[in-house]
Amino acid sequence: MEKTRKHSRHSFRSNTLPAVVMTGPMTLLLILLVAVPLIYVGVMSFCSIDQYYNVVFQFTTKNYARLVSLDYMKIYGQSLLIAFVTTVICILIGYPFSWLIARTKSKYKKILYMLVIVPFWTNSLIRVYGWRTFLGTNGWLNTALQFLHLTDGPLNFLYNRGTTILGMVYCLLPFMILPLYTSIEKLDQSLLEASADLGAKKAATFVEVVLPLTAGGIFSGSIMIFIPCLGYFFISDILGGGNSDVIGNLIERQFQSGNNWPLGAALSIVLIVITLILVKLYQRMGGSMENLGV
Amino acid sequence: MKKRWICFVLALMMTAGLLAGCGSSESGAGDAGELNVFVWTEYVPDAVFEKFEDETGIKVNVSTYSSNEDMLAKVKSESEGAYDVVLPSDYMIEQMIAQDMLEELDQDALTNLSNIGEAYLNPSYDPGNIYSVPYQGGVAAIAVNTSMTDLDITSYADLFDPSLADSLVVLDDYRAVIGMTARSMGYSMNETDPEILSQIEEKLLTLKNNIRLYDSDSPKSALISGDCSVGYVWSAEAALAMEENPDIKIVYPTEGAYLFMDNWAVLKGTKNYDGAMQFINFMLDSEVSQMVSEEFPYLNPNTAAVEAMGEEYSGNIAKNPPADVIAAGEYVQNLDTDTLAVYDEMWTKLKE
Amino acid sequence: MKRKKRERNRKRLSALFCALVYLFLFLPISVIVVNSMNATTSKPYLSWKGFTLDWYVKLFDNSSLLQSFGNTMVIAIVSTLLATVIGTLGAVGMYRYKFKGKALLDGLLYIPVVIPEIVLGISLLTIFALVDIPRGMLTLILAHVTFCVPYVIFNVRARLAGYDSSIEEASLDLGANRIRTFFEITLPVLAPGIAGGALLAFTLSIDDVIISYFVNGQTKTFPLKVMESIKSGVAPDVNALSTLILLGTIVLVVLTQSDLLKIKKKVKR
Repeated sequence: MEKTRKHSRHSFRSNTLPAVVMTGPMTLLLILLVAVPLIYVGVMSFCSIDQYYNVVFQFTTKNYARLVSLDYMKIYGQSLLIAFVTTVICILIGYPFSWLIARTKSKYKKILYMLVIVPFWTNSLIRVYGWRTFLGTNGWLNTALQFLHLTDGPLNFLYNRGTTILGMVYCLLPFMILPLYTSIEKLDQSLLEASADLGAKKAATFVEVVLPLTAGGIFSGSIMIFIPCLGYFFISDILGGGNSDVIGNLIERQFQSGNNWPLGAALSIVLIVITLILVKLYQRMGGSMENLGV
Repeated sequence: MKKRWICFVLALMMTAGLLAGCGSSESGAGDAGELNVFVWTEYVPDAVFEKFEDETGIKVNVSTYSSNEDMLAKVKSESEGAYDVVLPSDYMIEQMIAQDMLEELDQDALTNLSNIGEAYLNPSYDPGNIYSVPYQGGVAAIAVNTSMTDLDITSYADLFDPSLADSLVVLDDYRAVIGMTARSMGYSMNETDPEILSQIEEKLLTLKNNIRLYDSDSPKSALISGDCSVGYVWSAEAALAMEENPDIKIVYPTEGAYLFMDNWAVLKGTKNYDGAMQFINFMLDSEVSQMVSEEFPYLNPNTAAVEAMGEEYSGNIAKNPPADVIAAGEYVQNLDTDTLAVYDEMWTKLKE
Repeated sequence: MKRKKRERNRKRLSALFCALVYLFLFLPISVIVVNSMNATTSKPYLSWKGFTLDWYVKLFDNSSLLQSFGNTMVIAIVSTLLATVIGTLGAVGMYRYKFKGKALLDGLLYIPVVIPEIVLGISLLTIFALVDIPRGMLTLILAHVTFCVPYVIFNVRARLAGYDSSIEEASLDLGANRIRTFFEITLPVLAPGIAGGALLAFTLSIDDVIISYFVNGQTKTFPLKVMESIKSGVAPDVNALSTLILLGTIVLVVLTQSDLLKIKKKVKR
């Protein structure tokens, strides 16, 4: 490091070209396709629409005024609730599961790990639709239940908040398992043994040694689940039947049938703010940003 | 290992190229240009597009939408010329004319226009059919699976009955659902009076408990699969559900129903005006119109086709809504943005 | 004795738990596979009408379905290649040089990873509409490159963390120019990170629904085609194609994985 710095001080001029060549395309991309569009969305959120729903650049705070109404608040609340429950379920299932496959002595360990990833290779929409087929009134589950005489008539599983959460858990569970697997696998066996040798009970070892060491995995998994949950409009469309909308549905509606882009832009800004708060919280808890992308 | 990866990537590229290529070169279409058509889902049979491609050599790219508002949003966000032909309903035609979005039709090219019944020509939303010609229409009707409910449903108001808790499939279309609620209370679907709207809102929210599913695209699926026992659906969807399950019956509401008529129109900035006119005239052909009615049996304004199809079509009240139903019904009209914002808020409340 | 029994019960319970989680993960996939062999021809294709493999043949007549899959592959390959090149150069450049606004750039990098896809989708839609770029293949590729680049960068960066830059300097000292050094020294060291990033980018691209949904115009990718077919009931040929894709990927992974194992053995020897 020391050397490079000296190197660059010596020949500054000759370093400008390679630096531009290397970081230029990336910078251009990030500015033109990330920064500018987001700024434009921010600007648009203060714009009005004319009688034909065209965006006009006339300053207004009406869009935000509409957002603070109770009705929108209820959907934010519902959306946050769905995201929260999904995250908790993913931790409750994902933690023990990752623990078991990360610490198994089976020779199939690698295959067990790969099996978590395999479902990802099938289009996620069609898998979510698979749940709809499975849970339908005349779907597999109801047919099986009636065949076994466990129920008399078909039960209604579909189209409520529960099925939306099921779909979210289904799509996002691997995002909890994979980081946890990595952090559990890194755990030093001797540390656990030492703790046990020192007379600590299993529960105490877990709370005082294991949990702090794997907390990073839990945090990064949680953030990778919680945030997408707020936006996955297609899951609440397919499995929620339109009865358990998330913030993503609100945005999508304003950009499609609602035809009110400024309102949709304001909704997006709210979602960005929520995301930023969550990420700050994550960093405050010691989460590393690098863990989110790898 | 490196070589394998390279081979893998090359193989992928070749398959991709092959697939992309065969999609466009197949069926010999494309020699006479392309046509971008934007239509409702479950409304125009694939076979009709294929027939048009075979006859003219024009390649048709089909995209679909679920509501008039979806279509408008997408057309407006796209560059001019992205779509050539669209299929909006009555009030949307009026709105698009007002926004100068539609191209005048070349009347000389519409040699098949005489197939359309007198009653369907010269509509109030497009006097003289300067911008549009009718395709199909219908009613937002009620479909009831009589084996799943004992309730004798005769009106929109019955859809609010508490015994139908968690059993309705309704159109995912705010003008249709709010309009239905207004009709059930004896109001117009196009109310603008804030006082009346707040009454409608109150009633609308009581429907929430009954709605199990919102689906505009194919509400028949939920009826056929038994997921929903009663539906507020487009009439042909009810007709198709009845064919799959004889227990399902269609009911035209006593209050007078929501009516619609969808029309072919050409967008300003089209890159293939002649192709578009050719396509619209093709759709007015009586044989083509029969093909359409067989797959999506809506109210067909093509009298030549209706005559040819005989009793099987015209005797079926689900496919061919009786004249008194049409007479008692109401069409949606364009409202000002402030009123529509109220409608939009009602819709948001219903869906929360 | 008692302890052993308890241990055994605990093991059984664990195995059962894992089996249930796998069942949960694979259940919808079994629905897809079974429905691809359903002889039904009437929408919404839900009731079972007998076993058939016809759909695997008929699928090749469905040109719009094949075209959508072709589009997905083209977009995935092109945007992966672009994202890999841009990302690798960017990661190395950011690691090596200091410049104004680097911290800001670093922050921007996290945005596509962290914000919900729908926000990225609508922001790209608004900007494409503003400058009036016709929506289609081009906008799809631009969008995919945008959300793929950060993943490539993070993967390459992870590799750079343990990178010893002295070998690069040795190469320069020995008279090799920068470009040669980059290709012959830097790149091979970073290769695993680059490959990992590219693979991730590819996976994200082929499965993307939300962002593509807003910027596709009339170009349909396979996921968007599925979305459209969900509206009226997913036809068995879509299930058949999904099954084939799944099988293809499994075969591919088995091939490359066994490859990895062999190489390791050779090194050991």
